[in-house]
Amino acid sequence: MVSTRQTTSGRRIGYYTALWAVALIFFLPVLWIMMAAFKSNDDILSVPPKLAFSPTLDNVSRVLEESSTIPYFINSAWLALGSVVVAILVSLPAAYAFSRWKFPFTNFLMFLLLSTRMVPATAAVVPMFQMFNAFGLRGRFGMFILYTSFSIPFSVWILKGFIDGVSERFDETAIVNGAGRVHVMLKVVLPQVKPGIIAAFIFNLIFAWNEYIFNFVLGDPNTQNIPFGMSVNLLSAGGNVDWGFVAALSSMYLVLPMMMIFFFQRYLLVGMTFGTVRGDV
Amino acid sequence: MDTLNLAEFEAEPSPKGRASARAGTRDSTKSRLLGRALLVPVLVFFAILNVIPTFWMIGLGFYDYTLGRGDPKFVGLDNFVIIYESAEQWATFTRTLFFMVVAVAFEVGLGVVLGFLFWGSAKMPGRRLALTLLFTPMVVAPVASGLFWKLMYEPTFGVINYVVDLFGGQKIDFLTDVDWVTPAVLAVDIWMWTPFMILMTLAALGSVPTAELEAADVDRLSFYQRVRHVIWPHGKFILMLGILLRTIDAFKTTDLVLTMTGGGPGNKTEFLGVALYRQAFNSFDLGRSSAVALVLLIIAIALTSIYLYVLNLSRSR
Repeated sequence: MVSTRQTTSGRRIGYYTALWAVALIFFLPVLWIMMAAFKSNDDILSVPPKLAFSPTLDNVSRVLEESSTIPYFINSAWLALGSVVVAILVSLPAAYAFSRWKFPFTNFLMFLLLSTRMVPATAAVVPMFQMFNAFGLRGRFGMFILYTSFSIPFSVWILKGFIDGVSERFDETAIVNGAGRVHVMLKVVLPQVKPGIIAAFIFNLIFAWNEYIFNFVLGDPNTQNIPFGMSVNLLSAGGNVDWGFVAALSSMYLVLPMMMIFFFQRYLLVGMTFGTVRGDV
Repeated sequence: MDTLNLAEFEAEPSPKGRASARAGTRDSTKSRLLGRALLVPVLVFFAILNVIPTFWMIGLGFYDYTLGRGDPKFVGLDNFVIIYESAEQWATFTRTLFFMVVAVAFEVGLGVVLGFLFWGSAKMPGRRLALTLLFTPMVVAPVASGLFWKLMYEPTFGVINYVVDLFGGQKIDFLTDVDWVTPAVLAVDIWMWTPFMILMTLAALGSVPTAELEAADVDRLSFYQRVRHVIWPHGKFILMLGILLRTIDAFKTTDLVLTMTGGGPGNKTEFLGVALYRQAFNSFDLGRSSAVALVLLIIAIALTSIYLYVLNLSRSR
């Protein structure tokens, strides 16, 4: 008996070690950049690569002292956070309506919404560019509604999935007891689809946080975000990229998405089941 | 449009259908109006930021219009004829298709295998941290990961060439070598998006009811039988959705390639997204690039429809 238990626990340890190894292999390139953020430029360029180095905060402080960095960060933050919040506020009623009133055109509209994902950004940006110039939309407001529109389709899809998973008995009971539809949506259904809302929030936030093409082509100094800043840094540098600076900037930029996947991990997994799972995955 | 009913795929239709039929007969006109009213905000956004630009794009596709060279001129189907007859355009298309197929095949293969591997890890110490590290590649901004890998692929001081050197190989300038650049870009795409397929596989496996898995345990089903009869029927929707999303996104890969190689050397990594970018913003040929975009949109919609149709066929069977 004892020996079998020992072999199973030995197997467990081997299995967990293998899983950790896989995770670390995927993380290795990111770790390399994070290390570069604390290396001097000489250490970054040294051959052979240095694993042991004297860490310096030089790159980080240069990033913080660079006058354009803070505005880039602020733009990234308000654009991503604001647009995703508005998108979810707009998508929730639509998802509820799609789920409960079974309009004959529901499937067609849902498909149309998904189809916005199919156009390459570089294709969509051409007419957008002309439209934004024609209507004078290049600025805070234009970028904000554009980012909001990016987040809507996925939010509607996820939320409809989750609302479909809430039995209509809840709605009927509440209505029989004299509640209005809006009350039902906000007080009865909403609390039950929180995982869906959080999942939609995280996925769209990560996307908006990383968006580049539209920002690069349509943005102005009031909206330019960090990916824009990184590409400009690269393009303007020619052959002499300041790698320490780039590494520090991208490491700092990665903190938010990584925190999101650490703290909201179960919602990432539950979210992608589109409401078919209520518990943990 | 019943074939497009994706989101309801997993829901049990019969009791809900009846409930809504009852609700429907009771619902007043006022209620039906409310239902439509709730859709209005989304539809407004959709009309302004998707429908108008799409029609604009369709329109532009029929014009000869290069920025800074006078007014647009209507040329009918000329742009499309040029695209059809252009060997370069076909080459770009083939290149993109090759990239898409290889990338998605690796990502799905690796993702499913590793997803199964991580399935039993609920009690693993530090699972949350391990999964965070594992999922990090997919949340790195494509622009940033292009930069990361540019640094690591560097021929003189890049860490990858150091490893190559260590094993006695010749140093390779990955991003400017015609033979190496495509595998190098593919490797980065696979690194970025395999974690996404792991996530989708875990979600798909998580959607299998525990009771059915326990029943399979009791019946001592083989691994194959388990996958075929217990896991696949529940998990296929989520897994296929993951594959669909990856296919669409691989088809439009742009940011990553733009920062890593800019489409070069020559046009070796000029995939459709990158080619469109060059056409529109280096040569400012808006008419042609709109026409290409329109063709792409039609292809993407056709592929997705076929895909959803097949998925629904397998459900009704």
